[in-house]
Amino acid sequence: MLRAIKSLPFPSKPLPFSSQLALVAGLVALFVALPLAYIFLRALSANPEDWLRLLQTRLWRLMGNTLALAGAVTSGTLIIGVSMAWLTERTDLPGRRAWRWMLALPLAIPPYIGAILHLALLRPRGGVIPKFLEGLFGFPVPTPSPLGFWGAAFILTIFMFPYVYLLSGAAFRSQHAMLEEAARSLGRTAWQTFWQVTLPALRPGLLAGALLVTLDVLAEYGTVALLRYETFSSAIFAQLYGRYDRSAASILSGVLVSLALLVLWSEIKLQGQARFTQIEGNWRPVPLILLGRWKLPALVTVLLVIAISLLIPLLVLLAWTIQAVLDPQTLSQIFRAGPQGLAQSAWNSLWTSALAALFAVTLSLPVARLSVRYPSPYTHFLARLCQVGYAIPGVVIALSLILIINRLVPILSATPHLVVIAYVLRNMPQAVRASESAIGRLSASLEEASRTLGRTPLQTLFEITLPLILPGLLAGGALVFLTSLKELPATLLLRPAGFDTLAVRVWVWASDGYYIQAAPAALILLLVSAIPLSFLLHRTAMFQ
Amino acid sequence: MRNLSQFLYRLLPILLISAGGLTACAPISPLPAAESQTPTSLPSQPEALANEDPIAESPTSAEVNGKLVIYSGRSEALIQPVLDAFRSKYPKVEILIKAGSNSALANALIEEQSNPQADIFITTEMFTAQSLAQKGIFQSYFPKGAESLSAEFIGPNQTWIGLTRRARVIMYNADLVAPEELPASIFDLTNPKWKGQVAAAGSTNGGMQAHIAAMRKLLGEEATANWLKGLLANNVTFFGGHTDVRKAVGAGEFKLGLVNHYYYHLQKAEGSNVGIIYPDQDEGQIGLLTNITAAAIVRGAQNLPAAQALLDFLVSPEGQKLFAEGNYEYPLLPGVPLREGVTPLENFRLAAIDIPSIALDLEATFKLMEVVGLP
Repeated sequence: MLRAIKSLPFPSKPLPFSSQLALVAGLVALFVALPLAYIFLRALSANPEDWLRLLQTRLWRLMGNTLALAGAVTSGTLIIGVSMAWLTERTDLPGRRAWRWMLALPLAIPPYIGAILHLALLRPRGGVIPKFLEGLFGFPVPTPSPLGFWGAAFILTIFMFPYVYLLSGAAFRSQHAMLEEAARSLGRTAWQTFWQVTLPALRPGLLAGALLVTLDVLAEYGTVALLRYETFSSAIFAQLYGRYDRSAASILSGVLVSLALLVLWSEIKLQGQARFTQIEGNWRPVPLILLGRWKLPALVTVLLVIAISLLIPLLVLLAWTIQAVLDPQTLSQIFRAGPQGLAQSAWNSLWTSALAALFAVTLSLPVARLSVRYPSPYTHFLARLCQVGYAIPGVVIALSLILIINRLVPILSATPHLVVIAYVLRNMPQAVRASESAIGRLSASLEEASRTLGRTPLQTLFEITLPLILPGLLAGGALVFLTSLKELPATLLLRPAGFDTLAVRVWVWASDGYYIQAAPAALILLLVSAIPLSFLLHRTAMFQ
Repeated sequence: MRNLSQFLYRLLPILLISAGGLTACAPISPLPAAESQTPTSLPSQPEALANEDPIAESPTSAEVNGKLVIYSGRSEALIQPVLDAFRSKYPKVEILIKAGSNSALANALIEEQSNPQADIFITTEMFTAQSLAQKGIFQSYFPKGAESLSAEFIGPNQTWIGLTRRARVIMYNADLVAPEELPASIFDLTNPKWKGQVAAAGSTNGGMQAHIAAMRKLLGEEATANWLKGLLANNVTFFGGHTDVRKAVGAGEFKLGLVNHYYYHLQKAEGSNVGIIYPDQDEGQIGLLTNITAAAIVRGAQNLPAAQALLDFLVSPEGQKLFAEGNYEYPLLPGVPLREGVTPLENFRLAAIDIPSIALDLEATFKLMEVVGLP
């Protein structure tokens, strides 16, 4: 019933290999891999003295910091994500439909905005809550500090767990009732069944979720910088921003990217080529577990998670926005007349992200088509190469673009195009994965039939292929759009003078401590992000 | 497959064109036109001719228009009021500002030397300005009315011009620190008595960089390194900027903060019970450290008339008054009054520093921060 099979979307008969397509796909992969190659080259050719200095001073501490944070956040998101998914998918928890949405929506909140909010609320002695408590009791009451390792781990966990939640929720839902019934009938207890049957079947989803979280933590800049926890990403940013020491920045980047590639590689190894499939014929859902007297505690836990990760951030932002709007001086600061107003920032966010989505999806098509329709070690390698964008944090992409573009294409330097290129490079993996799955679901025989009936290749593409895979491409585009909207470090480093996005606006205000002024831009960013996110959620089985 | 690649070949030009179209309309504000002054949203005239023929006297407001690109080491919130005042005089100028750290912007200027993007560079300490001037990044311009500025505030060959002066002070939370236990020297900050109670700006901050560069010059490498190590050993918290420091001290998160003097005044104005110490005033101590902020016109600036007009404005009594009034800084133009509550620098013993020689040592300063491990 449960077996691992070699994953082949459709049995492919040997098609004539298209060298043109291979060339285009190769060029795309080259484009995507260029920053990676360049960073490694720079890191390896750096002055040995710089290497030695970093090894003696900061490298190991940064490595420890980064790994500890990635480990803590990944474990935290797995625990919260899986338990929330179990509660909303497997039990008779009241209001599951609504909670499902609210547990997924924190994906629209960039963690650095969450960090700003929790910092303002909980900052030791200076935050709203400690001050309130001190006023109430007349003496300082110790509150948990959002700063440092635990603060950063907490913030990143509560804003990244939806990745795990969505993937494990989908897996819980698609599981066959007979699986667990068989285990129980063979004498396993409910608890044993969960650990020995249910959870292992979730493995692919959990691994994919853990991978996304780990790579995101490695790439995260804003949160760790605000909460004063130094990781590779923030150290590279400081190096570039405050000292502009490219040699050290390249070395740190090389180490960070190696780390990320290692994570990516181990996911591929662990995941293997194995897929858990089940016979679809008489599929029926697993019966819900009745929570009984656990209903209330379960409900409180879910509400607590939702409150911390979604409701409180939204309410605080809303309150600050209202405060900003009511104060004429703040209002005029925010909605400065002229070309640098908030509307301009919103527009910049929109068009750069949309353009990045368009380019990423278009560029992903030849690669995806090649790897799906002509599976071979070469095409597989190309597709994998396009996945490394996941492993290159925004800071590193910015560094390599600064170094490459200024030498090769100076006409592009200090233009918003640079920001768009960074978005495309960073988000290419999402586009490639989406396009691969869209093309994979389309049977090649449809296209062949169209050709047999006398359509030209171009007609086939426009009349058959594109209309059928369009929803899948749109999903890929929406994902790229969403992550580009939230992108911060590369935008900060690459933007030309006077070019702000919403994320930059939020950061510029908030990093100077002007939280009220930052709120409207943050709120708009959240609301705009919610649109592609809800489109994506609507496509998944969990939300239908 | 052939069909897809053909499709792509046809699609790419379309994409490129549409991309061009999108970016072309980017600068047009979707704001209702009435909100901004309509002339500014019109495309600017190229100012190429002005490059060859620098105008000796200040241009009149009618001639000054177009885009003015400013790289500012001063944080956006602190420079914006001055730029707003400038724009109310020259409404046809569209100001594009990129605020960042002095060193990041300085390196961008070096990077862009063959293809300059900025017209004006504003920095929070003069060492960066000095070292860029030595690299030939700036062009000479002597602003109208700058004759009364002291010669030490004008760069070699008039490549940069000083704007204001700020003192490096210790601010304290008066609710938490009693008057009799106040520190009197920046070296007291390494005293274990203040362990975990001190906040300062980190290695990416221009003011702190200049502070360390000056100390290196005054005391030598070793003493400065020891001071930094002492701060680290004392668990001093290093923020990205001074606004964070002043707010944290104001809120009582820290007892002491090493800041520029006006951060004390800004925090005081917000209603916090904070105090200020002008450190190292006794015989044998190094004296009060100060930073000079400066501005310069980039060689190859696209909009020279506007850049010159801005420099004129910044050193004019009106511009200087804005710095003094709005930000409690010490104006460099004689005769501009200090804001009420700001103690004149004549009351203090200032550290004696030879600026040109420090500028040359800036790289050594960065190396020192790296070796010590200053965050």
